[in-house]
Amino acid sequence: MSQVEVMNGNRAAGIAACLARPDVIAAYPITPQSSVVEFISRMIAEDKLDAKICEVESEHSAMSVLEGASLAGGRTFSATSSQGLALMYEPYFRASTLRLPIVMAIANREMISPQTLWASAQDSLSVRDAGWMQFYVEDNQEILDTLLQAFRIAEDSRVLLPINVCYDGFYLSHMSERVVVPDPEEVDAFLPDGYHPQHILLDPDRPMAVDPLTNGDLLTEYRAKHLAAQQAALEVIEQVDAKFSAAFGRSWDGAVEAYRIDGDCEAVVVTLGSMTGAGREAVDRMRESGASVGLLKLRVVRPFPAKEVRELLRGIPAVGVVDRNVSFGWDTGIIYQEVSSALYGVQGTARVPMIAGLGGQDITVEMFEDALRTLLERGRAGSACSPEFPETIWLSQDGEEETR
Amino acid sequence: MRSQYIVPIGPDGIYEIKTGTWRTADPRIDEDACIRCGICLMHCPVGAVTREGERFTINLDYCKGCGICAHECPKGAITMEGRDTA
Amino acid sequence: MSILNRLSAPDMISPGISACVGCNVELTLRTVMRIVGPNSVLAIPPGCMGGVGVVGWDKLSGARVPVFFPLLTNTASMLSGIRLAYDRQGKVNTHVVAFAGDGASVDAGFQALSGAAERNDRILYVCYDNEGYMNTGYQRSAATPKGAWTSTTPHGKLQIKKDTPRIMADHRIPYVATCSPAYIPDLVTKVEKAMANRDGFSYLHVLTPCVSGWGFPPEESIEVCRSSVQTRYFPLYEVDHGRYRITVDVPKPRPLSEYVGRLKKFSRTTEAELAEMELLVKQQWQELRALERVGGEHIDG
Repeated sequence: MSQVEVMNGNRAAGIAACLARPDVIAAYPITPQSSVVEFISRMIAEDKLDAKICEVESEHSAMSVLEGASLAGGRTFSATSSQGLALMYEPYFRASTLRLPIVMAIANREMISPQTLWASAQDSLSVRDAGWMQFYVEDNQEILDTLLQAFRIAEDSRVLLPINVCYDGFYLSHMSERVVVPDPEEVDAFLPDGYHPQHILLDPDRPMAVDPLTNGDLLTEYRAKHLAAQQAALEVIEQVDAKFSAAFGRSWDGAVEAYRIDGDCEAVVVTLGSMTGAGREAVDRMRESGASVGLLKLRVVRPFPAKEVRELLRGIPAVGVVDRNVSFGWDTGIIYQEVSSALYGVQGTARVPMIAGLGGQDITVEMFEDALRTLLERGRAGSACSPEFPETIWLSQDGEEETR
Repeated sequence: MRSQYIVPIGPDGIYEIKTGTWRTADPRIDEDACIRCGICLMHCPVGAVTREGERFTINLDYCKGCGICAHECPKGAITMEGRDTA
Repeated sequence: MSILNRLSAPDMISPGISACVGCNVELTLRTVMRIVGPNSVLAIPPGCMGGVGVVGWDKLSGARVPVFFPLLTNTASMLSGIRLAYDRQGKVNTHVVAFAGDGASVDAGFQALSGAAERNDRILYVCYDNEGYMNTGYQRSAATPKGAWTSTTPHGKLQIKKDTPRIMADHRIPYVATCSPAYIPDLVTKVEKAMANRDGFSYLHVLTPCVSGWGFPPEESIEVCRSSVQTRYFPLYEVDHGRYRITVDVPKPRPLSEYVGRLKKFSRTTEAELAEMELLVKQQWQELRALERVGGEHIDG
């Protein structure tokens, strides 16, 4: 029987990890994810979870322990944020290039400096090119559900890649919501019965070198196969979401959710993570007063669902991307560039980069309404007023003008 | 496509270099002087010295000619003999 | 079983690897892995042994046991993870072995090493100490002794050698030992003790003089090792469940100048630096003798 409980995002992540029957967990604290690993530690100590836990001395070792365990054939999980993710970057990169289906939650947090603890997507987006898959979720139910989906997607033989499930620090990690916890037996039926690698394994009964020195032509082949696996994952994401929906009654729309993007839609705002909630509210309010606006929730950033994004946004007069992060050197946010790439060559769609919510600042419904109003104006003004490199709008609670 | 694998692994056999070609001198054991102490076997970095019963032999496929065996032999039973490099 | 019988166990490493002529590391690796045997997994971080082909090339392996490259920084942590997964699978008798240079152990990999030792994870960690990053061109490491030439300390290192075996013993892991390729029966015994240690972490520290980086003729390789022990520069001891014991006694030490004098890397070492080294060698030996006595009292009293 599934149960309804009130819990914060970290607990939802911890519960999902336990339900997935991991073999090895690495535990290291960092705000705002620490209670994820605390929860799992308690479950193991109270004999409610049969798993091995390693209390490591840093995140670099956390990822290293998981890689060792995964290479030895174990299902693995950990959680981190920000500085911890940065510290583990060295082993993090090879988790994907060794095709190890590690699952790791990231409670999104700004990168230091300045000294900060609060939410932004800067940490996980800064490592988006390390070959992992990345999901960005909107609420605590989605944290739990997506982590369960992640174990299945990661271990799928067409994929075999590690997966990050990212959720905004404090906004989700520390905020309590109603969450449906699935029945463990139903989760067992949904997930593969243990991790049984065929492609890479340290096994004395079948000795081989793992990761020998490799010539450039062979390296190129492995890279090509890795790229192909990310593309194949797009289909697997949809399939697993459908299977999840059939099993548990909840769907998360795969890689991209189109919210109220209909035929006459004039402006769409693209969101990532918990800000989506405020965005939906803004869309609803404006629709009520007659505006034709919509929202595109980007649930998966790696692999980037370029075709789906392009198809959904083609023909929309104005699209704004709200980035809770910055892309140094481009004067915009990161997701803006990704969406722009997907829209390359599409005519008649003004693209507007927007930055908001850095350092954990709230992105309010009103800010979204301002943004959508601006987009409506841009859309109506047409291509004459749509520069190739539009200036970034820095949304703030004091109004757009109060920016740089 | 050079590999049927999706990830860098080395299951197809042992990688080896014929390091015997490095040598500029060959070790020779004088069987009569040899006291079977095994010090040559213990200290050969390449593991080229093997023992069969009472006899010690040196595998010249891999011997790099370092001369440790000759240097360490307590009875001077091993000599490093130069050879033509032509 | 006699030492020669034990050393006749099959070689677990490829017969042809491109280690330098007379390499002490190659000798140590082959010896250790003959004793450890096939029921094992071997971690070779970047360094000499990885560079000479022990992890293999392309689709071939350089060993007859599962072998892999950890990163320079995380050998011990990766092994912690392997041990946890293996224990869960019931592979409790499979040896989880590191063969790591001093760079990977006392410098970049030190945090991981200390962390795994503090957790007392059941792994067999062998550090081969050639007193520098030899594979990359002889740069200094924390294990380089004071006064030694390296490519990054061309006028001699200013700082003393970090005493890693003592630091590891202070983690109070069940087994720590120092070894030398000139004392193979002693080394083999220590490997066997490390393998038999079911109580947690085993750490072996082997001084492996480097023909190329230290500057001596290859055929003198074992003599240099012997000299390191007989001058008391590198005492051979073990710390077994807290009990210190010097395993190769040196009642009449040779003058340190004999060891230092035969190595090109010390050719610019000053008299003052040599005197400092002699003092340190004396101090180290006295401390070991004192620790031997303390261990005895602790256990008996």
